[in-house]
Amino acid sequence: MAAATSMAAALAASLPAPQAAPAPSAPTYEAIPASMAKVIDIEAEIPITSVQLDAIVVSKITKHAKEAPGSSAHGLLLGLDLDGTLEVWNSFALPHHSNDDDDKSAKGVARYQSSMLRSLKEVQADDSVIGFYQGMTLGSFFNQTLVDTQAIHQERLRHGGVVIVHDISQTARGNASFRAFRLTKAFLDAYKRHNFSTSSLIDHRLTFSTILEEVPLKIRTNALVSSFLGALSEATPSTTTQSSPALATSSAAIPPSYSRLNLGTGNTARNLEMVVEALDNYKTEEGNLAYLQRQIARERAKAEAYVAKRKEENATRIAAGLAPLPEEDVSRLFKIPPEPSRLESMLLLGRIDAYGKSLEETASTGLVKMYAAKANAGN
Amino acid sequence: MPLGPPSSAVFIQNTAPGFISTPGRPPTSVTVHPVALFSILDHYLRRTDAQERVIGTLLGTRSDNGEVEVRSAFAVLHSETEVQVAVDMEYHRTMYDLHHKVNPKEVIVGWYSTGSNLNTYSALIQNFYSQETAPHQAIHLALNTGVEEGQKAGVQAYVGSPVGVNPKPENCVFVPIPCELRFNDAERSGLDLLTSNLSDSVNATFTNPSSDLELLERSLVSVYEMLDRVLSYVQSVLSGEVKGDAAIGRYLMDALGPSTEDLERGEFNSHLQDTLTVSYLANLVRSQAEVSARLALVKAS
Repeated sequence: MAAATSMAAALAASLPAPQAAPAPSAPTYEAIPASMAKVIDIEAEIPITSVQLDAIVVSKITKHAKEAPGSSAHGLLLGLDLDGTLEVWNSFALPHHSNDDDDKSAKGVARYQSSMLRSLKEVQADDSVIGFYQGMTLGSFFNQTLVDTQAIHQERLRHGGVVIVHDISQTARGNASFRAFRLTKAFLDAYKRHNFSTSSLIDHRLTFSTILEEVPLKIRTNALVSSFLGALSEATPSTTTQSSPALATSSAAIPPSYSRLNLGTGNTARNLEMVVEALDNYKTEEGNLAYLQRQIARERAKAEAYVAKRKEENATRIAAGLAPLPEEDVSRLFKIPPEPSRLESMLLLGRIDAYGKSLEETASTGLVKMYAAKANAGN
Repeated sequence: MPLGPPSSAVFIQNTAPGFISTPGRPPTSVTVHPVALFSILDHYLRRTDAQERVIGTLLGTRSDNGEVEVRSAFAVLHSETEVQVAVDMEYHRTMYDLHHKVNPKEVIVGWYSTGSNLNTYSALIQNFYSQETAPHQAIHLALNTGVEEGQKAGVQAYVGSPVGVNPKPENCVFVPIPCELRFNDAERSGLDLLTSNLSDSVNATFTNPSSDLELLERSLVSVYEMLDRVLSYVQSVLSGEVKGDAAIGRYLMDALGPSTEDLERGEFNSHLQDTLTVSYLANLVRSQAEVSARLALVKAS
């Protein structure tokens, strides 16, 4: 026994001592220092309070919206959220697909998107999608596709995406308009349940104005761009300056424009047409809703009549001493159609409101301009 | 609007009206849209530390009289060492296909680089791009970001033409052609938005989109200032301090003289009434929509 152990010991001694396998170094968790906590926000805890657009995004969206046929310009926004501000640093346009070939076009768009993101990543541009943009005319951005896309984004993206809406007609008038929106919680809740019946609307207190909430937006030009633009628009002194300083002209690369002072009627006629059209659509929609409601009421009345009749029969049978007939499940006999969704009519109302608002704005500026012109001539 | 510091270059080109350029001839002038400029600047900002200059492709349209319009630009991977230069052609193809899907009218018209030094590598890259744009010639846009000392920010456009005895691709002289910044109404508004706070050095980086009325106010204020200047000039001429310039005087008379009396009587009032009606109607429609929305919430029980 002792020999065995000693032999074992000798053998063990001759073998290289098994190295204690190095314990895998436990990952050391360091807390993010407080100074950086606002910037490195891994759990997406800081809520978004404002949106910031870069100069290049402004010009890209403007260009795409102008060139796209109709009002079908839409694309994705890329950027990052920093300390409560969603910064949009780049954007790209998505090809417009017709709605005929839904399957193929959806895949085509997805392929385009992934390919573009990959390419952008290679040149060290950003590739994190934070929302999408949509171009529209005269205020008509309340439509089903916008709501659907935003709902999808809001679920999948960190912080939920924002949708930037760009008004082409207002830009053509001289005021580049960009507004950022998000779906409200109440609306998202109702949307998830796919329930837009009257009762659900009341519960969530949904009107067209509470579907989207606006997020304050500002435009940022980084230092390089602003210095470049500054160099372009600085006035080059002309020869007449020496003689009459009061008449110094600026022959800058970007001379000031006075197109806003035009006294034209602008798009008023078109705007009014669209208001009328939207009102017609709304009337049709309301008509449909009323028809469906009437049908529901009718079915319900029939079902109740049946139940009442059954009860009566049972009463007579009990009085006659026979066994009562089973009260059948009424819902199987009479199909009561479900409550109609009022989403479409809500969206139409929102559109009517938006058209009215843009009409108001053009009318108010028109008034000011007319009185200014009158003041000049009428003296 | 010229882009960049005035140069002493004499542009030799044929801009007579009715000049139709055949595919082989060089382009006669270049117009650039602001989107392309911003893309290039953005790419320059994002470059890695190793790269001194960045290059990329220009997309745009060509018109019949030899004018090239640069509509947009995208970055292309490239590496430049002492010995060789390499451009990622695959990447260039992919990005061009993607862009083409969105905008079928734009074609490759040339390439850009930041930094205005033109060396052998530029000639090689120019040759490569000329093959892409065949049968037309590629234009080269050299954008100087003005970051380095002593160099003013600006853009210059060149066309390559062979020089020397042997037609090798590296032998190429860059001929400057005139280059302008052009924008349409929509882009103009966008640019206004971006440059509106340039003079205000405190807030130079951030601007808020403002409403129509605010912008109108700004335009009216600037017109008011212009009128003030004109008034002070006229008064100084009348009091004899400054010798009046006849041309300016005639111009002022033309601009401010004619009255709009007859125009005003007839259509002005009706237009005013129309505008008021539209305003009232718009308010009515809005309140109607609001009431309708609230009504839907009332449960009929």
